Amino acid sequence: MFNLGTVFRFEVKRTLKKKSFWIMAAAFPIIIGVVFLIIYFSNQATSRAAAETKNQKFSFVITDESGLIDKTLVQQFGASEVTDKTAAINDVIDGSLDAYFYYPKDVIGSKVQIYAKDAGLFDNSRYQAVAQVLLRQSVAPTVSPEVTAILQNTVNFSSTTYKDGVPFDGFMQLIAPGVFLVLFYLLIAMFGNQMLSSTTEEKENRVIEMILTTIKARTLIIGKILSLLVLAFIQVMVILVPTVIAYIFLRNVLSLPNIDLSTIPLDPVRIVIAALLFISSFLLFTGLLVAIGAAVPTAKEASGFFGVVMAFLFVPLYAVTLFISAPDSGLVRFLSFFPLTAPIPLMLRNAVGNLSIGDAIIGILILSVSAAIALTLAIRLFQYGALEYSRRISLGVLFRKK
Amino acid sequence: MDFGNKTVIEDLSFDVHKGEVFGFLGSNGSGKTTTIRALLGIYQPTGGELTVNGTPFSVSTGTKLGYLPEERGLYKKETVLDVMIYFGQLKGLTKTEAKTHAETYLARVKLADKATTRIDKLSGGQQQKVQLGITIMNDPELLILDEPTKGFDPVNRRLLMDIIEEHQRAGATVIFVTHQMEEVERLCDRIILLKDGKSRAYGTIEEVKSSFNNASLDDIFLEVYGDENAQPERSE
Repeated sequence: MFNLGTVFRFEVKRTLKKKSFWIMAAAFPIIIGVVFLIIYFSNQATSRAAAETKNQKFSFVITDESGLIDKTLVQQFGASEVTDKTAAINDVIDGSLDAYFYYPKDVIGSKVQIYAKDAGLFDNSRYQAVAQVLLRQSVAPTVSPEVTAILQNTVNFSSTTYKDGVPFDGFMQLIAPGVFLVLFYLLIAMFGNQMLSSTTEEKENRVIEMILTTIKARTLIIGKILSLLVLAFIQVMVILVPTVIAYIFLRNVLSLPNIDLSTIPLDPVRIVIAALLFISSFLLFTGLLVAIGAAVPTAKEASGFFGVVMAFLFVPLYAVTLFISAPDSGLVRFLSFFPLTAPIPLMLRNAVGNLSIGDAIIGILILSVSAAIALTLAIRLFQYGALEYSRRISLGVLFRKK
Repeated sequence: MDFGNKTVIEDLSFDVHKGEVFGFLGSNGSGKTTTIRALLGIYQPTGGELTVNGTPFSVSTGTKLGYLPEERGLYKKETVLDVMIYFGQLKGLTKTEAKTHAETYLARVKLADKATTRIDKLSGGQQQKVQLGITIMNDPELLILDEPTKGFDPVNRRLLMDIIEEHQRAGATVIFVTHQMEEVERLCDRIILLKDGKSRAYGTIEEVKSSFNNASLDDIFLEVYGDENAQPERSE
């Protein structure tokens, strides 16, 4: 293994030199940035348009059978009351009137009817806005501000829950261990293809014989995996750093929620379990992807298996509510302890706090043993499938070669 | 050595003496490359092993091995110097030593100006020279060359033969797989002729010739492989 460092440095250096690595690394923050910009400019434009709409004057009349509308307010809006609904609607139709609002006797059981001249998809909303304001402001003086706030759901709540005698916030508790789950998805999604193709290059370039007579297959594979870990870390940093900077400086501009990182609880037991689950899961999927890459002749063919591997990560998400509400159900236990589906339920259950220490240990052991088997398989496949340039190595061939 | 139900190498045993050039001869499909790959552990042999000074060979035994495989290939997207330094380091050289070795060799084979060129921008012959350079980077004690001059023009073939001879004079043991009878006559001390995975002749060139009534190597080749329409190759 004395060549591990050489393999590691070579793999890291040459990947960092590839434009595709930086394009992929930069693509995510750029896309996120573009999305934020679109949201920002869209919000700005919407606010501006709404303000303009609010100030736009249009002629309207109303009929109030509910008795709720304040007559003075109607006059302040520059409108008037009419009794002939049909005539008012005809005035709107022939264009002599911009809008007509009809407030029925029972405004809850029946609809407030609005008849208006088309002002465009966006500007048509002004009619309903004015009809609503007229109704709201008419009834507002009849109730207290408190009642208004309650009815409008603008009352703020603050809750404190306790677990084992100390304050416990379930949502805040899941943030720190949940980061490992997000990181796992991110790394596999972004690096899966690179893992798959990491060993096919030696085959495609026909450099395999020189490699296998210079270093052990194990050294090469482990060196490649270590390099992938570092490259993944670099890529995460490329995403994370601009995201954090953007959050700090543009939080107010983009109306993002204000999260005080110091208030995030750090449960050391759950974080250690999350870290161990993350490491063993990552190694399992890395081993699996590298093994697939070692078994097939070309990177193109290897990439075809990526969707299959990703399915093991996404299918458990269909049972996500079960992971939270029924952690002891048979399906959840099966998905939690079947190696290929285990990472998601185990990490999610740990994040929400329903993974027992016993289940966590069993899960980590299953994932670790599976990872060791996958990595051993990857090395054997690479060693014995090395010269299978044009065809896939079969499991039969692999296990026959003792 | 079996591939599925087919035995491709059978009861083959030979010694290569320290410091000699040993010729490994045979027609296409006679089992030369398979034997070499099995000896080096690239293929898992059904039985048998390569021993160097009595010790079974593996890449971790510390034997300084230089192997030029029949299948040519390098990391195509990397520069010549980067690849040579990488392999030099894998063979136990420091980065500085590997760089010095690489630059000296590239100057020798007139590729000094290609040091920072990507491998895939080189011609086939130039890539082959780089691969030979990698093979001999650590001044190997055991040099196994599988058809090293295949595809070379006469000038470069001569250059390569000189380089191989230099290494042999410096004490390297060379196993030389070839069809080229001229190369065999010029370089080899002893030879083995393979047919269908079995030895058909084995010994010094004189011993082999005398066992075929002092026929030339060309005639011996034709006699052994004539029924396969095989022809010994001659340099152009």
